[in-house]
Amino acid sequence: MKILAIMKKELQSYFYSPIAYIVFASFLLIVGYLFWVVLVTSKLASLEPLFYNASFVLLLASPVLTMRLISEERKSKTMELLLTSPISPVEIVTGKFLACLILYLALIVLTMQYPILLSRYSNAFDMGPVYSGYLGMVLLSSAFISLGLFASSLSENQIISAMISFGGLMLFWIFGWARHAFDNAFGHMLGNLSIFDRYSDFLRGIVDSGNVIFFVVFTFIWLFLATRVLESERWR
Amino acid sequence: MIEMKNITRYYGNFRALNNISLSVEKGEILGLLGPNGAGKTTAMRILTSFLPATSGTATVAGFDVFEDSLEVRRRLGYLPETPPVYPEMTVESYLNFVGEIKELAGKVRKERIAEIADRIGLTDNLQRIIGHLSKGYRQRVGIAQALLHNPDVLILDEPTVGLDPNQIIEIRGLIKDLAKDHTIILSTHYLAEVSMTCSRVVIINEGEIVAEDSVENLEKGATGATHYKITLKPSESNDWREIIDKTAGTKISAELHEAGLIKFNLELPSEKEFDSMFEKIVAKGTVFREISPVKASLEDVFIKLTSGEERKADA
Repeated sequence: MKILAIMKKELQSYFYSPIAYIVFASFLLIVGYLFWVVLVTSKLASLEPLFYNASFVLLLASPVLTMRLISEERKSKTMELLLTSPISPVEIVTGKFLACLILYLALIVLTMQYPILLSRYSNAFDMGPVYSGYLGMVLLSSAFISLGLFASSLSENQIISAMISFGGLMLFWIFGWARHAFDNAFGHMLGNLSIFDRYSDFLRGIVDSGNVIFFVVFTFIWLFLATRVLESERWR
Repeated sequence: MIEMKNITRYYGNFRALNNISLSVEKGEILGLLGPNGAGKTTAMRILTSFLPATSGTATVAGFDVFEDSLEVRRRLGYLPETPPVYPEMTVESYLNFVGEIKELAGKVRKERIAEIADRIGLTDNLQRIIGHLSKGYRQRVGIAQALLHNPDVLILDEPTVGLDPNQIIEIRGLIKDLAKDHTIILSTHYLAEVSMTCSRVVIINEGEIVAEDSVENLEKGATGATHYKITLKPSESNDWREIIDKTAGTKISAELHEAGLIKFNLELPSEKEFDSMFEKIVAKGTVFREISPVKASLEDVFIKLTSGEERKADA
C-alpha cells in the first residue's frame, strides 16, 4: 500500500530527527503546568480550561510539525523521486496527513492522564464533556494539519510554510470576534468560519453534527488544495 | 522505445528547449551532451513526466508522458541530478521505501534490494545512515533507486558525478551491462564517458540539437583536414620542409627537435596529394620513423559545435 509507505516514512523522519521529541516534551510540560496552576487556583474538577490550553499550544506547535512535510521534499529534491514514481498526489498527501495525525493522536492520548486523575479524586466529575472534548480535539487537530500541509506545499522554504500556516490558523481561530464587531450577515458569516467557536461547543458537551461536518469539510478542502498544488507541477 | 517530437519548453520568457525531436531504440544507450544550461535536464524531466512540455509530444514505451503519465512512471527509472535520498534514513529502509512506492511486493522487494545492492556495491553499507555516506556512495544509492523496479527505460542525469575514478569505471561498466535489457538515456559533461558507453550521441546547445550521430561518425566529421603525427630523420640537405611547404594547403605545427629526429604535426587538406609529396621527400634521403593519423576527439567536436559565437567571429 503506497499510502502506508509514505505514512511510515514520515513517521520515521519525525522520530529520527529531534523534532517529535522536542514538541512532545514542550507540549506535555506546558499542558502539565497549566493543569496544575488552573486546578490549584480554581479548585474546580473541570477539564474545560485544559482543553482550551492544550488546543492553543497545539495551534502554536502545528506549523512546526507540518512545515517540513512537503517543503522539505522540494528542498532536498526528493520530490523528483515521488513525482516520477507511480504514486499519485492524493496518495502522497493522504500518507503525510495520516502520519501527522498519528503524531497528534499520540500527544492527545498522553493528556488523558488528567481526566483519569480528576475522575479518581473528585466526587462530582462529569465525563460527558471529556468525551466530546476529545472528539473536538481530534477534529481540531486534523483541521490544523490539513491547513499546515497545504501551506507546506506552497514553498520550499520551511519558514515561509510555517508562517503561512500559523497566520491561517490564527485567523480561523479568531474569526469569531467578527460577530462582536459587526452585528450583521457578514459578521455572522465570518463567525461561522471560526474553528474556536465550533471547538468550544464540543467542550461544553455538545456534539453538533454541523460542527463535525464543518471540521471534516475544512480538512478535506485544504488536503484537496494541497493535492492540486502537487498536481499543478505536471501541467504548469 | 523513447520518442520526442517537436518538444519546446519555456520557463517564463526563457526558451530552454526549442523544437527538439529524438528517438531511442530498444537496447540503445543515448548520450545527451551539452554545456551547462543547454537543456539536458529539462529534456530528461519532460521524459519522466516531472515537467510538462510547452508544446510537442513525447512517448516512453508507447505511452504519452502527459496523458498516460502513470504508465510511463511504472516503466521508468530516473536518477535526477541530485540523488533523491532522505539523509535521515538508512540505505536499506530507503530502498525499501522506494520499492514500496514503485509497487514491488514484499518478497520481490527484498530480493531486488539484495540483488541491486550486490550489483552496485552497497551490500556492506545497507545499515548505514544515508546522511553519513560519502558523495560517491550517495550517488550509488541514487542509481540503486533508479534500477530497483527493473524498469524498461532508464534516465540517468550525470550518473558518474562525484565518483572516484575506480567507481566511474565500475559504473560505466554497469551502464553498458544494463543496456542488454534496458533502454538508457544518460546526460554528461564527460566526453570520454560518451565515447565509452554510448552507442549514439545527441549534442544539445542552447536548447537545440546541434548534432546527432554515432560517436565514430562525429569524430570523423569533426575537421575537414586530416592530421598526422610525424617523426622523421632528415637527410643531410634537410630539404623535406621545402617540399612540404610547396604542397598547397599543408601546415606544420608543434615542431620539436630531439636527438637528430624531428617531430611535428602535419595537416593535409585531402588524401590525394600525399603520395607524390612523400615520395619526393623519401627520394632525397629523409627517413620516416613515424606517421600516425590523429583523430579529432569528441572534445574537438563538442567545442566546435557548442561555441558557435566564436566561429562566426573568426570568419
